[in-house]
Amino acid sequence: MSFIHVQHLKKQFDGTAVIEDVSFELEKGMCVSLLGPNGAGKTTTLRMLSGLMKPTSGLITFEGKSNKEDIRSWIGYLPQYPVFHNWMSGREFLIYVARLARLSKKEAASRADQLLQKVGLHEAKNRRIGKYSGGMKQRLGIAQAMIHRPKLIMLDEPVSSLDPNGRREVLNLIEELKKETTILFSTHILSDAEEVSDRLLLLHNGILHHSGTIEELQATQAVNRIIIEFESHSEQYIEQLISLPEVLQVEPHGDALYVEVNKIKDARSAILQQAVEHHWPLTSFEIGRLSLEELFMKVVNE
Amino acid sequence: MQWMTLFQKETLENWRNFKWLWVPITFILVAALDPVTTHYLPVILEKSGELPEGAILDLPTPTPPEAFLLSFGQLNLLGVAVVLLMTMGIIAAERKSGVTELILVKPVSYTAYITAKWASTLVLIFFSLFLGLLTSWYYVNILYGDLAFSIMIGSFFLYSVWITFVLTISIFMNVFFKTPGLVGFLSVALIILINSLNGLVSRFIDGYPPQINAYIREYVINGSTSGDLWLTLIITLLLIGVLLISSVLIFRKKELAA
Repeated sequence: MSFIHVQHLKKQFDGTAVIEDVSFELEKGMCVSLLGPNGAGKTTTLRMLSGLMKPTSGLITFEGKSNKEDIRSWIGYLPQYPVFHNWMSGREFLIYVARLARLSKKEAASRADQLLQKVGLHEAKNRRIGKYSGGMKQRLGIAQAMIHRPKLIMLDEPVSSLDPNGRREVLNLIEELKKETTILFSTHILSDAEEVSDRLLLLHNGILHHSGTIEELQATQAVNRIIIEFESHSEQYIEQLISLPEVLQVEPHGDALYVEVNKIKDARSAILQQAVEHHWPLTSFEIGRLSLEELFMKVVNE
Repeated sequence: MQWMTLFQKETLENWRNFKWLWVPITFILVAALDPVTTHYLPVILEKSGELPEGAILDLPTPTPPEAFLLSFGQLNLLGVAVVLLMTMGIIAAERKSGVTELILVKPVSYTAYITAKWASTLVLIFFSLFLGLLTSWYYVNILYGDLAFSIMIGSFFLYSVWITFVLTISIFMNVFFKTPGLVGFLSVALIILINSLNGLVSRFIDGYPPQINAYIREYVINGSTSGDLWLTLIITLLLIGVLLISSVLIFRKKELAA
């Protein structure tokens, strides 16, 4: 059941449209990644959903409530570069934010301790935030977004600025949070999107190019691929392959050829027939799909 | 209550960054320095030996009320400057740094956010102003002669209204701009403008806020005031209310992220 509807969202800055007509729905319990290159409008979209920015036009409804109402209690948000009150300790900040979200004193303290444990900041809870590392701040940022048990949490590039260790920690944390709430996170790193999200929103130049699962995205791209590996001299078979009506394009990759085809079924028979007839020295024959990265490039360059 | 959470956070912040130390000390110095140095001026000049041969030093000794009023002269310059300096980033700096992106996506009331900042600063300023005037009053009594304690209390209340007006202007400017320096500059400029129009405006209407300073002078010297002190106070308080409410309304309309 989808509980967030975004309809014809549009945002202009000084007459230039940053977001043009973005519509999508989010389902409860999903982990959705908002994928796009830098400058695609990811941050702007998230800011409009969080209420930090007002859309030029369009409607966001949240369980039937529109963005004209105060929907902030249902939303947790982590900005791309979270800034805290550095003079507070991690625990103080979480309690402060919890109190702002109208949790009682007792609840605020227990929820803060619980989340500090969860994001692995228990040891550092009484240290001033100013002394935290980048990864620790990011984890504290996730904790503060979760503090009031929001129905939707939005994370803006949660792992982009982190080193591999920090990235792993935060990705594991997101994996963990998926069980509790709906997550929408933006990223330009495709493998992260592929790893943790159930669904993709592909944004480029303010236009939503795709919304759905990765499999659906692959299905929309009518291109499929067969990877054929040869013992040696793969180049000499290119001509023959190209001449087949089922083959669209052939690309050499070392001893392998990447063959793009329309219909896997027809192409497979045709190519295998060729191989048998001409005694091709095959070492492997693989049906491959375009990786997310390639799909992404394809959609973006269209 | 959410308002108390915000208020406590501001007070704790002012405590941790030592504002509760340096602001009272500054106000004590600003208020007490002039009455004290004026008293010792002849001695200082004599000891420094810079006077030409045969010059006769004949400085009039101020009366106790006149000496006490010297404090207000300094407060109007330096006290106001301190207030503007310490509040020029009170909202602007938080917006510039991006903390507001974390705080205001929580269900925080904008009214509470602004009024809690306003109130916590007021408490600090009133405390500092009171200590400053108390110290000044103490030295005036020792060095110049008796001055009624009630005069000190009365003038404290009158000046509180003026300094609240100054603070509220700074808050108002904070809502518009994200650069603390610009906020400070524009607040100073506006207050200078308001002050310099005093002579002109007062000729035509009663109740112009800077007139409070003239009433303080009258009150300290005569123990009472002529003219419409109450009108001035009411108008100033109304203006404070209008500025505060518009700050909240404008802040609500602002895009918090840019």
